[in-house]
Formats: sequence, C-alpha cells, structure tokens
Amino acid sequence: MISADSLKLTFGKGTPLENPALRGMSLTVNQGEFVTVIGSNGAGKSTFLNALAGEVIVDSGRIEVDGQDVTRLPTHKRARRVARVFQDPLAGTCEGLSIEENLALAIKRGQRRGLTSAVKRSYMERFRAALAKLNLGLESRLGNKMGLLSGGQRQAVSLLMASLTPSSILLLDEHTAALDPKTAAFVLELTQDIIAEQKLTALMVTHSMKQALEVGDRTVMLHQGQVVFDIAGPEREGLEVKDLLDLFEKQRGLEVEDDSLLLG
Amino acid sequence: MPGLHQPCESPLMLSQIAFFGAVETGLIYGLVAFGIYISFRVLDFPDLTVDGSFPLGAAVAAVLIIAGWNPWLATGMAILAGMAAGAVTALLNVKLGILNLLASILTMIALYSVNLRIMDGPNVPLLMQDTVVTWWDSLLPAEYYFLAPVALFVVVTAIVLVLLWRFMKSELGLSMRATGANPRMARAQGIATGAMVVLGVALSNGLVGLAGALVAQSQGAADVTMGVGVIVIGLASLIGGEAVISPTTVLRALLACVVGAIIYRLAIAFALNADALGLGAQDLNLITAILVTLAIVLPGFRTKVQARMTRNKA
Repeated sequence: MISADSLKLTFGKGTPLENPALRGMSLTVNQGEFVTVIGSNGAGKSTFLNALAGEVIVDSGRIEVDGQDVTRLPTHKRARRVARVFQDPLAGTCEGLSIEENLALAIKRGQRRGLTSAVKRSYMERFRAALAKLNLGLESRLGNKMGLLSGGQRQAVSLLMASLTPSSILLLDEHTAALDPKTAAFVLELTQDIIAEQKLTALMVTHSMKQALEVGDRTVMLHQGQVVFDIAGPEREGLEVKDLLDLFEKQRGLEVEDDSLLLG
Repeated sequence: MPGLHQPCESPLMLSQIAFFGAVETGLIYGLVAFGIYISFRVLDFPDLTVDGSFPLGAAVAAVLIIAGWNPWLATGMAILAGMAAGAVTALLNVKLGILNLLASILTMIALYSVNLRIMDGPNVPLLMQDTVVTWWDSLLPAEYYFLAPVALFVVVTAIVLVLLWRFMKSELGLSMRATGANPRMARAQGIATGAMVVLGVALSNGLVGLAGALVAQSQGAADVTMGVGVIVIGLASLIGGEAVISPTTVLRALLACVVGAIIYRLAIAFALNADALGLGAQDLNLITAILVTLAIVLPGFRTKVQARMTRNKA
C-alpha cells in the first residue's frame, strides 16, 4: 500500500521559471490495486512518480509505503519497497553489462550487497524461467550484453527486473510510449500478465485514455498537480474515452485542449 | 628510469637492463592504469587526483621506511593515504556538488602542499634503507639481480589484478559498474550511488598510492614532482591497452591496462634508445602525447579502412 498526502512541490522557486508541479496531490493505492494515471502534459504525472520513487523530494506533504514514512528518504533507500520501469527503454538496464548481470542487480534490489559473486549459479534457473516467459529466446542468451537487445526487448527485461523481487508498489512511467505499436502491445500485455500473476500493486502512467480505461482496475486523472477525478469499480465499467473527457470537463469546467489525450 | 641510457648492441635494440627496466616500470604503471580504469571507465569520473596521490603514496612510504617501519606496512599505509585522497575528491563531488574534474584538481593541488609537509622538504632519499625491493632481492640468488624487481612487480600486479577482477564480479563491484553506467537505474535498484563513487575513487587512488610507494622504493627516493603527468601516462596505458586488447570483459579490460602500460614503457624506451631518431629524455612528454594520439586515432582509422575495403568489394 502506498499513500501520498497533500504533496506540494515547486520547481525553480523564486525564479521567473517557477513551476508548481504538485499542488496538494493526495492518492492512496491499496494492496493489489492496479491504478492507471492519465493527465495532459505538465499535469504532474512524472513528477508524482518521481516523488513516490524518491528521485525528487517534495516540499511538503507525506508519503507512506506500507505505513512507513518515506517522505524524506532518497531513492536507494526506498528501492526495496518501490520498483520502477522507466519510459526510456534504455534507462532501466545497463547496456554495458550482460543480461544475467542486469538481472543479478535486480534480484538484490534494496538489499545489502557484499563481496560474494554477483551472478550466482543458484540464480540461473530462476533467470532462465523468468526470461523464458517472455518468449524472446533470451533464456539462452544470458551472457549477452544488454546493448545487443532491441528497445522492446530491453523494456521487457526491465519489467522482469522490476518484478524479480517483491515490492510494495510497481511504478510504470509511460513504459510503452517509446515503443512501436506492436512492441508496445506486447509489453503492455506482459505487464498485465505479471501484475495479475504476482498480484502486484501498481501505478501506471499512460498517455492514452483508451489504455487507461482498458487496463487496470482504477483510473486517476491528474490536472495541474492535483487529482481531478478517481474512478473504480462499477462506475468505471463500460466507460469510454468520450465519457472520460466529459467527466474531465465537468470537473474542471474547461475545455480539453491537449489533442494528444484524444488519441490512442 | 634506471638503465635507460645503457649502451646498446644495435641502434634499435634495447639493452637487457633497459628492457627489464621498461617492463618493471610498465608493471608498476599498470597499477596506475587499473586506478584510472576504475575512475574513468567504471565510474565515468574523470579524476586527476592521481597526480597528487602518486607522490603521496611515495612520500608516506618513504617517510615511514626512514622512521623504521616494515616496508610492507609502510606500503600499506601508502595505499590508505591514497584512498583517503581519493575519498576527499569524491566527497567534494558527491556531498558538495563540485564538478568531478574540478574536485579532483582541487585535491591534486592541495596534495602538493600535503606531500611537502609529509616529507618535510621536496624529497626523501631511500638509499641504504630496507625496502620491499631489497627484501625481495634477499630472497633470490644474486646472479638474477636484474630480474628481481621485474619478478616482484609481476607478483604484485598479478595479485592486484586477480583481486580487482574478483571485486568487479562481486555484488559490490557490479553495483559500482552499474553506478558508472546508469546511475538512475542503479539508484532504482537500491544502490547508494554516492557511496559507490566514494568507494571507487578511493580504491582507484589507493592503487595509485601503491604504485607511488613502489616507484619510490624501486628508484630509491620519493620526490614531490614525481606525480607530474602520471594521469597522462596512466591514460596512455589504458587507451593503448584497449587498442590492443578490446575490453569486452572486465578481465580483458584489466589485462589491457597491464599490457598497455608495458607497451607504453617499451615504446618510450625504444624511442629514446634509437640513436637514429636522435631523441633524448627531454622529448619524453612529446613522445607521450604522440603515442596517446596514435592510440586514440588508430583503432578508428582501422575500421574506416576496413569499411572502405568492403565498400570497394561491393
């Protein structure tokens, strides 16, 4: 479970470029929930995710993971509870390291690392079994450099790495946006499978309203650094993109100008 | 370099003493290249501290040996001193946010004064003192005197290489490699990247301190100016080695450091010994610059030529 309570964060305070990215954002994600997050550019989606992960520290407010206050903790101290997949397929893995080395980094996420061999023989079976599920033939290429893989393959491995050890929440930051449509569909399907199979708690930012409604079991829309609506359950069933737009306009009393929200 | 200007049998041949002298120095500078591999390649942290931590290691070892310490213990303290210097550079960068290159220059400049203080003067001679080299000599039969230092440094460099290789393959070492390659990903995996930078730069300068201590003991003196250009020599060794042995694995990268350092020293020795070229010791830095340039440019040139050849075929 993760809960954010009235998060506020302003970038470039006291400069002409002052930008209030989060303006009292509150959201609680319960155990086992899969929440999709939408919002136009500048709504604060990425900042919110970065704040949850610890990449940025909020000015005020409180973040709790499983009841523990992590508001001031840096990224690496939250990593045990917070797993993450980035938008950039190259960002989640190290291209200079082999596939097995990348997985070995992930299997110790948030744990103490010592002087024993990083790539242990006892991991191999688990790595192969996990990779085999991707159906990309990677289970026989454990020693290959990550850089030899395509963007889609790397994103699939990133997803695998994020789910290799238990986490309290999985953060997905538009992780299919940089992929071609076919690969994006593959990675999205993989995401749903992994989340369902391991009963993960997940927060997925997406740019597509259609995707936001089709995937997961709760949808949250952000606007100007706040949650403008939050639907789940029967209310959300059968909702279409158009309904979502109407809802948005009713809530805010303004027109949606960002065409990109209509697409997809 | 001792023995560099010994008479030669032929203009392009090195005397035995010059040859072993070059290999010996090459092996020691292999340790410097290890250090530079860690900072420049593993951590992507351009660190010039080495120009100060090299004479620091020499100064600490020399002063302690004069004070009657066991030379191995004195050498150990030189490693710790180098590590402390590296940690200062890394902390300036990580904690105070000073640009890494600038942080290392600040430490390097400060170390000049520190080294003068440690030695209480510009140099400390080690003549007639018990050093690791004299200790090693006493173990070997006298007729192999010219091989003794080479054998010692082969052993030392080999031990360091194996330890470093094991370390880079360990959980901690892998975290360090991830820190340099992709810090954002490393943090997301729970790696304290700041601590990794401090550890890595400290380790790097510890190795350079070790090299300084060994050079002081093999040449018989520590001198405050002996660090000038160590960074360039180390980089030349690293880049040259990578041109010969492509560093596709950690082991190959470490071997490249040693091989590059020895090749560099031999190339310098050949250049200076070849009477036909008319070069002297004063031309050392010019030759270094030319060798480094060649080492950087040649691999790219080779692929360009290959590309042209294949294009012509097609």
